[in-house]
Amino acid sequence: MSGRGRYLADLAAGALSVVFVRSAVPHALINTIDTSAAVGMPGVVGVYTGADLGLVNDHIAELHVPHPAFVDATAFRMAEQRLAIMPTDRVHYVGQPLVALIAVDRYTAEDAMEAVDITYSPLAPCLDADAALREDATPIHRHLRDNEAASIHIEFGGLTPDVTADLTVEGTYRIGRHGAVPLEGRGVLARVDARRVSVWTSTQIPHMVRRGICEATGWATEEVRVAVPDVGGGFGTKANVYAEEIVIAALARRTGRDLVWVEDRQEHLVSAAQGRDQTHRTRLAVDGEGQIVHWADDFTVDIGAGGLWVAGVVANTAIHALGPYRVPRARITGRAAFTNKTITAQYRGAGRPEACFALERSLDDAARRLGLSGAEIRRRNLLTAEDLPYPRPLPYRDGVDVVFDGGDYAGCLEAALELLPVEEIEALQDDHPDLQVGHGVGCYLEATGRGPYETGRVRLMSTGQFEVSSGAASAGQAHETAFAQVAADALRVDLARVRVRQADTDLVEHGIGTFASRSAVLAGSAIRKAADEVRTLATARAAELLGAPVHAVELNDGIFRSHIGEPGSGGVGWDDVARAAAPGGAHEELGPLDVTEVFRPQTVTWTMGAHAAVVGVHRRTGAVRVLAYAVAHEGGVEINPQVVEGQVIGGVAQGIGGTLMEEFRYSPQGQPQSTTFADYLLPSTCDVPEVRVRHLGVDTPGNPLGVRGAGESGTIAVAAAVAAAVEHALGDRVQVTETPISPALLRTALRQEQRA
Amino acid sequence: MTVEQTDAPQIQHVRLTTTVNGNVVTVHVPPRLTLADLLRDELRLTGTHLGCEHGVCGACTVLVDGDSVRACLMFAVQVEGRQVSTIEGLEACATTARLKEAFTRHHGLQCGFCTPGMLVVATELIDGSDPRVPLTETCVREALSGNACRCTGYQGIVRAVLDAADPSPEGAP
Ligand code: FES
Ligand code: FES
Repeated sequence: MSGRGRYLADLAAGALSVVFVRSAVPHALINTIDTSAAVGMPGVVGVYTGADLGLVNDHIAELHVPHPAFVDATAFRMAEQRLAIMPTDRVHYVGQPLVALIAVDRYTAEDAMEAVDITYSPLAPCLDADAALREDATPIHRHLRDNEAASIHIEFGGLTPDVTADLTVEGTYRIGRHGAVPLEGRGVLARVDARRVSVWTSTQIPHMVRRGICEATGWATEEVRVAVPDVGGGFGTKANVYAEEIVIAALARRTGRDLVWVEDRQEHLVSAAQGRDQTHRTRLAVDGEGQIVHWADDFTVDIGAGGLWVAGVVANTAIHALGPYRVPRARITGRAAFTNKTITAQYRGAGRPEACFALERSLDDAARRLGLSGAEIRRRNLLTAEDLPYPRPLPYRDGVDVVFDGGDYAGCLEAALELLPVEEIEALQDDHPDLQVGHGVGCYLEATGRGPYETGRVRLMSTGQFEVSSGAASAGQAHETAFAQVAADALRVDLARVRVRQADTDLVEHGIGTFASRSAVLAGSAIRKAADEVRTLATARAAELLGAPVHAVELNDGIFRSHIGEPGSGGVGWDDVARAAAPGGAHEELGPLDVTEVFRPQTVTWTMGAHAAVVGVHRRTGAVRVLAYAVAHEGGVEINPQVVEGQVIGGVAQGIGGTLMEEFRYSPQGQPQSTTFADYLLPSTCDVPEVRVRHLGVDTPGNPLGVRGAGESGTIAVAAAVAAAVEHALGDRVQVTETPISPALLRTALRQEQRA
Repeated sequence: MTVEQTDAPQIQHVRLTTTVNGNVVTVHVPPRLTLADLLRDELRLTGTHLGCEHGVCGACTVLVDGDSVRACLMFAVQVEGRQVSTIEGLEACATTARLKEAFTRHHGLQCGFCTPGMLVVATELIDGSDPRVPLTETCVREALSGNACRCTGYQGIVRAVLDAADPSPEGAP
């Protein structure tokens, strides 16, 4: 284990260092880029602007386009994005790469960077989605008429909103701008030979990176290999194709030198894709019992200067705004805006936490006015075993009609409350006299295992060991363990016989990648199919070796035996099958057993869950501490329960970060303010409590493993549950409508309380 | 726009003699070279990771004369004549070995990037505290509070450290 991992920066030996000179201003025309002083400096190998790259395409195409049926049903529109890989005429955010500088080492490169002189004619920056979307706003991208990056409109149930409603609550809810911020930053290494460029990059989506490189450079697919080393966390920001990946590959070939770029933290915080930054304007109508009559949510997303996943984020937000409830009528509208902030991608949840916050906060608001508890209003609206499966009158992004395929969502809430009952606040209050303690809940729904497909490959090596690979790169999701287990089960061998290789376009030709809780479902299923096929083929070969009919041969504990003939007579093992397939063996002509399969799900599966939180608000400072936390979720079959639990707990920690401390802040002039770990705060050991997790297994027929994704389950409802608990702690004297939750707001409420 | 020139710039190098993982090494380094870069780039000890290079995340933690320090904040020349232990050097340390096992058992790592730093700090915590006083969850959390992990939510890490710290043969429950 530790010390053995080989991350991108660990592979750099022998390569020249690349650094990027980045835009220092949020919005401007570039007057001049003068690299002449840097070029002559000792140790500098080359200095390149966008004009020197020789790209056939100067921008990266979007990574996801929804199905036409979805586009029709939701009036989905999106603008063409053409954010330049390295612009020469105009900059759109602080941190945008402008010049790539190659030197013998990073120290030298960083010195030389100072000598690159760029002059700008500043333009007014646009830093707010609402302002960007106003009709009179100047478009920040020259090829577009306005700043709308995408829009969506979902409406069903038809009735005018308030017909049977007894209570209507309206609200504006904001989820701040925060993001994945993995502990390892991004990095790219490219090595060249006469034939092609090999690229190692810290990514979750190697095949899409290969496509991005080919599209921009015009190279054929065979001219690029993309391989993934150990990845120090991804969470969405590394499920993106970056300008830097294309520039390093292009310059490696151009210079004929091996090149490496490893970003530093400050660079990461201004230039790696960020997330969230949504505002929801809601209107929830309920009857006298608190049952939802109509739900309306109009949201905006600030995607910064660009976001290759904008369709995914906007569609995700809209669909997940429906929640795990009986919602007879709804109107969900949303728009994404271009602004002069850093680019965005998907961040763990990708629209789900934002949508969840808006609906859950609205439910709590209605509950308070009706004199119900947060748990009670949810009980009255959550889908139960009788309601499920629950079809919704709209298609998913893949064009297939949405059907929530769960077991009993109301039961899941009860499970969370059992794990962490309201009564626990009494003891916690006694333990923490300096805090005011409260309890809150939040529910979510997560579509997981999105297509279109994933590839899995299983090979029997000549040693009798197996090698497994897939298009889904591991960024710390413990794929090695889970995938090995899937293969070992199907091959009936010990786990130790299976080795999972890191994703590499040389190992599997096609693939999509790891994001949206899809790996276990899709790659796991593809590996299962491939392993099944290997077993079938091997059984036939073993039958031949045994001189028995195929139907009589069975595989148990890694040994093929025939039940015809003398009982107890020897069988053949995987080693024998492997030896027979090698040159000189009985099956030499058949060749090695090596199967690649594709798994294409019919549509997504839905994971529902409920979170319960107990928080303490410091009586003087208003600082919030999460004291206890519980998650119950309806997952499917768990390939490895410890892995799933780890994903959930880690997700909760990230949710707590986004709810209480993490934020990418910008000055009014558009300068990023969160550029070190002293400003962008990650939750520490003291900010995250023990998390209790209960898994309620609800099988799904959607894939051969029966699994549901859970990679985002821990994150989605954290803001909602913590906000509810904070309000409860303060006796509802405050309404939490924004994250990160501001201690100043809570201090004001505390002072009012002390006066009262 | 470009020149083909790869001579290293003429920067004054300093002679440095130090002990790394028990081996005496003598190197000539630029005065501004950080300890982290000396370990990673010159000595190829890449188990010391860099998560921030400004002293906050703890991924680069190593021991200098037995005390944990952030290798990204120290210059290489500052370890002249001192003893440096990296995660690679702790391979032989029984406490670290116990910790590694416990990390695996308790799922104390996902991507593994924070793990070397965590192990160094946890080794220092266990070896530096009175074995007769059991470690509590609170003091483990406090001791590790300068080491960021973005993946695990810390639960498995804290359990692993408590487990490895327990001198009884069965370990913690
Ligand atoms: S890299 Fe040294 S503390 Fe983060
Ligand atoms: S395991 Fe990934 S940062 Fe700790």
